[in-house]
Amino acid sequence: MDRVTKTLLAIVGVMIILSPIGILLVWNYNGAWGEWDVKTIEGMVGHRLPGMEKLSEVWNHAVLPDYNVPGWEDKLHASIGYIISAVVGTALVFVIYYALVKFTTGGGAST
Amino acid sequence: MHIPDGYLGPYTCAFFYLIMIPIWYRAFRWLKNLRPNQVPLLGVLTAFSFLVMMYNMPVPGGTTAHIVGGTIIAILVSPWAATVSLTVVLLIQALFFGDGGITTYAANVFNMGVVLPFVGYYTYRFFTQKIRVNEIVSSGIGAYIGIVTAATMAGIELGIQPYIQPGYCPYTLSVSVPAMAIAHLITAGPAAAVVTGAVIWYVKKSRPDLFAMRTITKVRW
Repeated sequence: MDRVTKTLLAIVGVMIILSPIGILLVWNYNGAWGEWDVKTIEGMVGHRLPGMEKLSEVWNHAVLPDYNVPGWEDKLHASIGYIISAVVGTALVFVIYYALVKFTTGGGAST
Repeated sequence: MHIPDGYLGPYTCAFFYLIMIPIWYRAFRWLKNLRPNQVPLLGVLTAFSFLVMMYNMPVPGGTTAHIVGGTIIAILVSPWAATVSLTVVLLIQALFFGDGGITTYAANVFNMGVVLPFVGYYTYRFFTQKIRVNEIVSSGIGAYIGIVTAATMAGIELGIQPYIQPGYCPYTLSVSVPAMAIAHLITAGPAAAVVTGAVIWYVKKSRPDLFAMRTITKVRW
């Protein structure tokens, strides 16, 4: 592994630890535009959105919804939940990425 | 910029799955060109992209935005590599964290994994090669234009819904496009420019060969 990759790996580690900044800085914000849950947006426009209600139900098996452990609402718990999510997500990235590289290259480009 | 399930109607979702099929085919085939020493680099950059999206930044008006890291991957490896990375990242985000969606997955990959890195990369190339602007500055400009274009694209996809079929995203283009574009023009865009410039500066300083090689051999993707 070359020096650049090693440094970037260290940055990845630091980013995991500091990740709660990503929620604490926007604690009282409404989230990103166009990413509200169905009830919120229906309240905003004042009527129901039947198509959205149906399609929004296709996947509700997220293990760590909104990068948090369900029920961990206060700042401290949400921050811990966020770090757990960062660790889980990073691990999943490496697992799926390496599986994909192995699959597409037939194992030829292994490290 | 992660469009959730329900915001795009079935026609739009199907359309983006259709156009992503040949793009995915090409991008996954491109992976064969990855040199063995680039394999860990692209892996770490993919993780970087996942993490950088967790850093939500406040947008005046009460919403938030984040950067994507697609232009960094496009410049350091290839825009096709960025497509592969974002395909992995957005799948994990949708399945495990409920960020984005399954029906909207192809549209989200198109915006963040195709539009963003390709616009970012070719903007960077235009500034370095045609106008001869410094590489670090060019990478920042590329990242800025890349993310704003991708966000505008997402705004267009959301804003056309009322014209196609009611019941999905209720906002028309005149609301969705400015909302998406402004959040990225004023918050995520400048952040993307600074982060991209910093990473490219560091890599150019420690591995100038990565850049020299490209200009000498005129690598084509």
